[in-house]
Amino acid sequence: MIEFEKVSIGYDRILYQIEDLKLNASQIYVLIGRNGSGKSTLLSSITGEIKPIKGKILIENQEVSVLSQKDKSQKISIVLPKNDSIPYLNVRDYIALGRYPYTNTLGKLTEVDQEVIETSIVQVGIEKIADKYTSIISDGERQLAAIARALAQDTPIILMDEPTAFLDYGNRIKVLKILQNLALAQKKCILLSSHDIDLCLDFNLPLLLIDQQTQKLIQLEKGTQKAKILEVGFGIS
Amino acid sequence: MFKGKSILFVALTTILIVAATIHLFSGQISIAYSDFLNAIWDFDPNDTEQIIVREIRLPRMVAGLIAGSGLAVSGMLMQTLFNNPLAGPYVLGINSGSSLFVALSMLSGFTFFQTNLGIAGAALTGAFISGIVILFFSYHLRSAVSLLLVGLMLGGFTSSIVSILEMQSGAQELKSFTLWSMGSLQHVVNSQLPFILTLFSIATLLVVFLIKPLNAMILGEKAAENLGINLNRFRLICIGVTSIYAGLITAFCGPIAFVGLAVPNLTRIILKTQNHGKLIFANIIIGSIFLLIVDSGIQLMEPIIALPLNAVTSLIGAPFIIYIVIKKMR
Repeated sequence: MIEFEKVSIGYDRILYQIEDLKLNASQIYVLIGRNGSGKSTLLSSITGEIKPIKGKILIENQEVSVLSQKDKSQKISIVLPKNDSIPYLNVRDYIALGRYPYTNTLGKLTEVDQEVIETSIVQVGIEKIADKYTSIISDGERQLAAIARALAQDTPIILMDEPTAFLDYGNRIKVLKILQNLALAQKKCILLSSHDIDLCLDFNLPLLLIDQQTQKLIQLEKGTQKAKILEVGFGIS
Repeated sequence: MFKGKSILFVALTTILIVAATIHLFSGQISIAYSDFLNAIWDFDPNDTEQIIVREIRLPRMVAGLIAGSGLAVSGMLMQTLFNNPLAGPYVLGINSGSSLFVALSMLSGFTFFQTNLGIAGAALTGAFISGIVILFFSYHLRSAVSLLLVGLMLGGFTSSIVSILEMQSGAQELKSFTLWSMGSLQHVVNSQLPFILTLFSIATLLVVFLIKPLNAMILGEKAAENLGINLNRFRLICIGVTSIYAGLITAFCGPIAFVGLAVPNLTRIILKTQNHGKLIFANIIIGSIFLLIVDSGIQLMEPIIALPLNAVTSLIGAPFIIYIVIKKMR
């Protein structure tokens, strides 16, 4: 789904290298690393917002840099860490914005669009808040609405920048469970950055760690001990 | 498109028709209803009342419609573009850029720049240049307040240059410039209307194509881009459209403060939606209603006291904005 070929990630200086890495469908990958180590930079490199210093990033066998903005909007959706409450915008209309890559110049929603929106609402389980304003629901509910919007965008890839950062423990588990089900049921490739190492270990998710010593992104083998992760990624022994 | 809000839109349109009618009947000379109909359908060029209707009342009302709706829509564009409810063509210095160029052309002494076309061209150019300047700063400023401060500084900067120009100019030019700077709907004459209406229609047509990106922009730039919105093109059209509105209105009606800032906020409160299709339509109606009522009031007060339009819109608009700040932003 996403392939990296000898990529150097960074903005004006190289932060780290990715030798060869393939991210597959039906899987959640978790990107971990210190603050400022370049997690968001990697997500922005995948969307093409930041060009990698060296190497190629391929989305479904096509290089990111050659994809048009419209193509990208139909292949990659993003979920940001904090979703501001927007006055006078209800959850359903908010989710409907996810259909924009498919609508005409005036943004008119077709019946198909409406169906996808309703399905997304059901899949995330937010039927009860669908008609409420985004300004009166909780942070956790807003994050679920953001996920529903990404689902409505109907892309094979979902990128999430610290989607659980502002959530309480219960909501973190809820979000990860929903994502895990979606990845399997809809064959999506989900890449999220997180500081919730414990939670991700509990969920047995594949971890991508930015190694501080070698300045390389490595995929950890399943069952890697937490102590090892802390040492390699955060310099704590 | 107006599902669930149709009663509101019918009500607003009715208020607009009433406001426009009251506006037509306002003024020092009272004119009979029959003269209005005759002036439109059966014009008699020797009838003074009918001439007043044709040459004074109608163009003034059309000026009110265009200035009110244009300022309201451009305020809405700026507020969504910069994700800031306190943005508007006036506070961001787009009007002042326009004013500076009008001052330059009116006080320059060149005859071309004193014609309608010259002043309009200058106003549009000035508006566009300051729009681009604000856009440039917006790339470098993350905080919404900083951008407003830069806009206010630009306004301060340009008005100092205008003051310097005023000191250098002759009495006659100074008088006409000062009158212009107070803002008024009564200087628009029929011969200018085709030009004004054409530019106004072009800008309004372009706004229709901004509905989709505007709706996406409420999620922020990054999310909008991910939804396939071409940000640079959107920003440029936004600034272009605002410049046409602000430049056009500044050239023919003078600077009019606070309409662009207050009306879009009022519209959002009344409509309770973020659907820009509805918001644009409502801004056009509410902006027109607001300016027509204000101008009717000015004409009503005329026998007692002459009120500059720019001052009255500020007197009403400023307290409303303070209310918005206290209520929403604290």
